[in-house]
Amino acid sequence: MAAWRLLPFASFSAPKNMAIDEAVFRTVQRRGGPPTLRLYGWFSPAVSVGYFQNAAAEIDLAACRKRGVTLVRRPTGGRAVYHDDDLTYAVAAPESDPLFPPTIAGTYLAISCCLVRGLEMIGLEASLASGSGEEPRPVRVGEERQRIPATGGTRSLPAPSCFAVPSLHELLVGGRKICGSAQLRSRGAFLQQGSLLMTFDPEKTATLIKSGDDSPLVGSELLRRRVTSVYEHLPRSVSRDDVCRALLAAFQEMWTVSLTPGVLTAEEEEWVDRLLATRYGQERWNREGSGKRFF
Amino acid sequence: MKVFPDDLLYSREHVWVRVEGDLATMGITDYAQEKLGEVLSVELPEVDTEVERDEPFGAVESSKGSVELISPLTGNVLNVNEDLIDDIGIVNSDPHDTGWMIVVEMNDLDELDDLLDARGYHDFVLQETEGD
Repeated sequence: MAAWRLLPFASFSAPKNMAIDEAVFRTVQRRGGPPTLRLYGWFSPAVSVGYFQNAAAEIDLAACRKRGVTLVRRPTGGRAVYHDDDLTYAVAAPESDPLFPPTIAGTYLAISCCLVRGLEMIGLEASLASGSGEEPRPVRVGEERQRIPATGGTRSLPAPSCFAVPSLHELLVGGRKICGSAQLRSRGAFLQQGSLLMTFDPEKTATLIKSGDDSPLVGSELLRRRVTSVYEHLPRSVSRDDVCRALLAAFQEMWTVSLTPGVLTAEEEEWVDRLLATRYGQERWNREGSGKRFF
Repeated sequence: MKVFPDDLLYSREHVWVRVEGDLATMGITDYAQEKLGEVLSVELPEVDTEVERDEPFGAVESSKGSVELISPLTGNVLNVNEDLIDDIGIVNSDPHDTGWMIVVEMNDLDELDDLLDARGYHDFVLQETEGD
């Protein structure tokens, strides 16, 4: 049985969360560090933008400041996520790990199937999105692998908010998105981050993350129709710890791996400090990124 | 299986290199763009900065996910393809030619020895796809 490291649930600031995920990924990538599953929360509300996103254009930075919401830039791509009461996961592993097909979509599928199983264990029936970029169309786990449809020639993701549109193999409950994920691959390793919504506040999300040409009111209505959360379907007696336990059981069952609780190594702690100093702890980095993008 | 141009060299990180003297033009291979899907954003270094062998020189975001671009060579960036600003789609439609990304003045031509020729890259890709 393959041995994985588990970094058990803990909450940190937005910059530290991103620094930890990247440090773990870099260690897997450069030093052959152990494949790692991490579950975590957020000390205080934050908006994370994808690595390539234009925060000034797509996030209401003044509204974030006014509401005490931290802005952070993720190492992974994708769209913006409002983190408040969500359960976030990160998986970092070598691309050569036999658990994962050597494709981006195959890795999404392998992780999403565990999440579906975990939600099933707490009584939530989830399915996988077909990734059409349109209204969600659920696909049940176990159905034939989906072909990725053409996107019609546009060259941008369809909405600034991650949860506005489900991507291929992302999780839906009742046809509405409940978990959004993004992936980075480099030099034989991958990092996938994802956010499972425990609760969801469409008004607040639409106030902080712009909705393209739509007003926050229209944007919140769209999000209300397309997004759901764990506590929309389950009673509060199901705690966050229960959800964490179910997800961990599902990962172990689906992948037949042994998850051994661990901590960051000294090398990873150094990476975290360096990344906080050069990237995630820097307001300018989080707002502008490297500033060398071609859209 | 795709045909890879004979006049290019290839890295195992799916970057192609066209060598003219001590200048190297680089981009991502047709195989890489197909694997990535529709390219949405590209991040490239600025002119007159250094790129280092085996280190990221940029990143690509596609409709599926994002990847870092790993430089097979060390050198100074002389030129960046600004046509990508107007039409990033050429990375998908013409990756080996107009979809080029950067031109580097190489510090060490010996680094080219580690690159694959078209035949070698074809075999490398074949091995990788057999694992799919």
